[in-house]
Amino acid sequence: MKRNFLNIQTLGLLAISIGLFTACTSDDDNGGTTDPNPEQTNSRWITVAAAKMGTNPGDGNGGTLIYSVSTEDAKDPTISINAFDNGFIAPSNRTARLQSSEDGNTIFNISYAGDTGGNYTKYTVGGGQNFTQTGSAISIAPYVGTAPRWIKLFDGDNTGAAVYVDTEHQFDDNGTPDDETDDFYTHTEATIGVVTLDLVNSAINNFEEHVVPLSAEEEAQGYYFSRIDMPTLNAAGDKLYIGARLSKVDPATAESDSDFEILGSKTIVLDYPSLLNPQVITSTVGHGNTNGYRSINSFEYNGSVYQANQSDPEGSHILKIDANNQYDDTYDFNLDDALGVEGAYILAWRPAANGKAVLAYRHNGSAEGVAGAQGFFALVDLNAKTAVKINGIPDNTDLYLFQYQGFVVQDNDIYVTQAPVGQNGNIYVVDTETGNVTKGAELVNITGSHFIGTF
Amino acid sequence: MFLNKSPFLLLLLLSSITFSQNCTLEGLVTFNNNEPVLGAYVTIQNKTLKKETATGIDGEFKFNTIPFGEYHLEIYSIDAKPKKIKVVLDANKKTIHTTLTLTDYQDLDEVQVIRKSNKTIKETQGFAVSVIKTKEAGLRNMQTNELLNATAGVKIRQNGGLGSSVSYSLNGLSGSAIRIFIDGIPISVYGNSYNLNSIPPSMIKDIEVYKGVVPGHLADDALGGAINIVLHKGTRSHLNASVSYGSFNTVQTHINGLYRFDKSGFTVKGSLFNNYSDNDYKVSGRSIVVTGLGGVQTPITARRFNDTYRSTGGMAQIGYTNVKWADQFLIGFNASEDYKEVQHGAFMTITPYKGRFLESDALLANLTYQKKDLFTEGLDVNINGVYGKRNRAVNDTVAAAYSWNGERAIDFRGDEYEYTWGSQQEGGPTLAKIKRHVASIRTGVSYEINEHHKVLVNYVYSGIDREDSDALQSYLENTFKGTRNFDKNIYALTYEISAFENKFKASLFGKHYQQKTTSIDPAIETDSEGNSTVVDEIVSSNNTFNGYGFATSYAITPKLTVLASAEKAIRLPNETEVFGNDGDNVVANPSIKPEQSNNYNLGFRFGKFNFNKHGLTVSTNLFTRNIKDRIGLPIENSFNIDDELILYVNQGSGTSKGIDAQLNYTYNRNFTLNFNVSKFELNIVNSGIEIDVPNTPFMTMNGNLRYSFKNLIQQKSRLNLFYSFHFTEDFSYSPKQGSNTVGDDFFKVPEQLAQDFGLSYAFPNKQLVVSFDIKNIFDKPVYDNLSVQKPGRAFYFKLNYSIHKF
Repeated sequence: MKRNFLNIQTLGLLAISIGLFTACTSDDDNGGTTDPNPEQTNSRWITVAAAKMGTNPGDGNGGTLIYSVSTEDAKDPTISINAFDNGFIAPSNRTARLQSSEDGNTIFNISYAGDTGGNYTKYTVGGGQNFTQTGSAISIAPYVGTAPRWIKLFDGDNTGAAVYVDTEHQFDDNGTPDDETDDFYTHTEATIGVVTLDLVNSAINNFEEHVVPLSAEEEAQGYYFSRIDMPTLNAAGDKLYIGARLSKVDPATAESDSDFEILGSKTIVLDYPSLLNPQVITSTVGHGNTNGYRSINSFEYNGSVYQANQSDPEGSHILKIDANNQYDDTYDFNLDDALGVEGAYILAWRPAANGKAVLAYRHNGSAEGVAGAQGFFALVDLNAKTAVKINGIPDNTDLYLFQYQGFVVQDNDIYVTQAPVGQNGNIYVVDTETGNVTKGAELVNITGSHFIGTF
Repeated sequence: MFLNKSPFLLLLLLSSITFSQNCTLEGLVTFNNNEPVLGAYVTIQNKTLKKETATGIDGEFKFNTIPFGEYHLEIYSIDAKPKKIKVVLDANKKTIHTTLTLTDYQDLDEVQVIRKSNKTIKETQGFAVSVIKTKEAGLRNMQTNELLNATAGVKIRQNGGLGSSVSYSLNGLSGSAIRIFIDGIPISVYGNSYNLNSIPPSMIKDIEVYKGVVPGHLADDALGGAINIVLHKGTRSHLNASVSYGSFNTVQTHINGLYRFDKSGFTVKGSLFNNYSDNDYKVSGRSIVVTGLGGVQTPITARRFNDTYRSTGGMAQIGYTNVKWADQFLIGFNASEDYKEVQHGAFMTITPYKGRFLESDALLANLTYQKKDLFTEGLDVNINGVYGKRNRAVNDTVAAAYSWNGERAIDFRGDEYEYTWGSQQEGGPTLAKIKRHVASIRTGVSYEINEHHKVLVNYVYSGIDREDSDALQSYLENTFKGTRNFDKNIYALTYEISAFENKFKASLFGKHYQQKTTSIDPAIETDSEGNSTVVDEIVSSNNTFNGYGFATSYAITPKLTVLASAEKAIRLPNETEVFGNDGDNVVANPSIKPEQSNNYNLGFRFGKFNFNKHGLTVSTNLFTRNIKDRIGLPIENSFNIDDELILYVNQGSGTSKGIDAQLNYTYNRNFTLNFNVSKFELNIVNSGIEIDVPNTPFMTMNGNLRYSFKNLIQQKSRLNLFYSFHFTEDFSYSPKQGSNTVGDDFFKVPEQLAQDFGLSYAFPNKQLVVSFDIKNIFDKPVYDNLSVQKPGRAFYFKLNYSIHKF
């Protein structure tokens, strides 16, 4: 894994000079160890993101506010963070899709919908509400539209990737081009567009489009890729995995089907950085979608990529894609089994470098809160395939984690925000190694609103 | 254009025929104290003819081209006893001078002549209504929407220049809460090609804006109020023509005429309009950029290049007017079409559209019947109906990306490129067509029991059968596309009373709404032998509801009137809300309830105060709207994110409350000043949480000044100078943020102040009026919606020609 703990220095310099940037990226080889760099102080910015209510409690459409504190303050329960009163409003018509640099010194944003939808902006974090915009304006809207699905790739904060899919039903004229009444449905063609973005220099790196077919049998039944998201780089850095959702039409009428068999989870694999040669891989372990929602859905760990799936009839799985770029179907990690619940649904998750992760989920037994199903946090071990609900983070019916976006990983610690819709909460720091939970700074909430993570 | 010019040619032809045995009757009416009688109602009639007029400021009146014969002349004034005179017309010109006896004011030292215009009468009935006169505006370079926007409590938000989409808001309620009518017929029946963008003010007699409480005769499911465009009903022969040219290559022409054979009452009526604009005004701002290599953006000031608007249409009617059996009986047709290029979507983004356009056309037959005192005195009948079809098409097949400089855009590699989605708007190429058969009829019967009591029964039907298709989609997809039929019946019963010497007026009404929506969805059915056939799945939903309300006014003193009105109003769910929409994956919710609102108005009207040559009227209205069962879509969550199934639900309540105020001042009949201000609060409650509604202009002010010079340059000429301003307070697209946040400016729609100047010059013969207008003199950037810029400074020149003598 190319997690780079020298990036505090690196990014500072990057902002000044591209020449230094190339020199520093060679330090990436140091990544992947769990030892913190001894030269580095253990403090960084923790940026908290808050989603203000638009018209309905928990919809998060009223603005995305960010506010930064030091790790010391983040861990201090006597500190209050009032992001709604004092925050910086990320420029995005609907909830901003945020990413942060690994050192926490830079926030990356791509505006979602509206007149600036697709605009990429980055900010140097200065603490509190101070976010200084750096770099030039650039937009990925021409390639992937004004409501882009994007995340950063874990390549030392150099690259972001965004995806788009366009679908069109295809018909056969039955040998009679002039008579359309006997035409029949053959399949639905999905054209994907993938753009990569140079986060450092604010420039478009690459863009490619492909028609990505399913198997002939799946296509004949009316299955097609209806949504894609969450591009993730493999350990070798030569393949990009893109999560996908399948939908289905009734071939007899070409109308949407709503009740159909859920196929094995699929991922689209592209060569990187060329973005060529699309392949589709299918899991036999998990069924359902791999495109996640707003939080990164798959991560590289120990040479493999671990991917969550959603809407799995057996409950969410964490799937494993090996270095050979195929699903490892011997790896069977089912959250229902691990947590002892029914209908587990992974809302967001994030592993630390030790292979242990914090995971936000809901299940069939979740209470119905003001905005939707109650969410919980669990501590997950990717190697042991275990998951344990974190009881150190308080339960609340109105804890709504569907829109949850961000986790900060610092060594073995993972920072999460816990604030039920319309209620105050706290930052919690989970030591993934010991399972200890530290209650941190208070999060001051307002009516109908919630917090969507740390960056 | 499917409209041929024959009705108009016929009109011209008829106008050249003259009748030599005609008389022009001129007259003067004074009170018995020698004061002139303003606004007295004068009729002349015999067995074959009836004409009416009102006296002018100096008590004068005139009837043109009355065939020789014996007539009764009747003169009514609210301040005097009526008078009947027998006149014999046997010469080309005849003059008459008569005196009326004052009724109430004989013993007063000073006699004030109180003349209530039609506008004043409507505005003091008790409803919160504004009546907009279009007479002067019709001679100027004004759009109907501009007139509405300058009215207290009304806010128009337009997404660009001439022909661009418009949303109407009345006291904070907008969208489908506001119903717009043309002579009582829902404007949706006519479609986009015949709407407030295309109808010139000169075709309009006046515009009635009912806020919150809508009288029974205009009944519809209008939750927040109604705007009724009243077209001219006059029966005097005339011909008007106008042409206007101005900035952005905007040309607007309009002709209307009427010819009436006085002997038989046979009437021919017609009008034609044509609007054209390139709308190539300059825009700039955060998304107006040209993108270069690697995606580098360079801001530019761009001219809009895909925004042409064209609309053409007309109406022709024949029938009889002012005959024994009908005041108006006219049948005819109405044809219109329009073409509108679309420069961008709801926002101006960095990817402007090229080649996307909308087209619509409508061809409708119409019928008008009006008769006062049918069979018996006090029984009035009114019927107005249209029937026909209208079509709408969306065309978006250009995949090539364009830049704001109007040229092909380049991608990060420097190559011209096409969008992945194959069209300008995300969502894919389309040649979507919507065909609709439409019908609407409004009928009213009223009976005046005596001076103080009146009963009205009104019925309105409107129906739409809608069929969608897309030439770019397959036969299969088009086959399985559903059709939606929509029938609405509304019955209203009204009782009007006036008492205490007309000081007290009240109108009580009840409305019964009935709406039937039918969805026809083709589906495949397999019989016992395994044969598949396509059958129509027909589902109907029937909604009925009752509403009621009242409007009352009381004149505490002749100068102070209090008006109060209230209504339990509703909006019935539309076909998408009931049946969903396949394209948007919205499914049916047949149990959805109508939106409801309890609307209250309390108004005061002071004046008109006259002192010396000054005249002053001040009026104000306080309002609240209490909405419940608002219809909306639920939010996205982990349960419905993958579902193709979302449905409209009743989700909460809301409140709008505020105040409108207006002031009119006149001096010596040649200076007028109007000013109005509106301010309101709007909030909604969802899941028990109240929020302020964002993206709403909460405060607006409008003012205008007119000064009129007589006999300038030429004797009997008239020069009018106009100045007006329109102010909208800044507002935010996003909900109100905290006290100390940073970055709020991103969502701000800035304060707007547009100032216009105009002049019009009427030549001495009164047939020719020339006008010149400058809009937005100071070229301020104006936005109704976040980052959608409207036109800057613009110049327009207009010629009007009218003949009233044939």
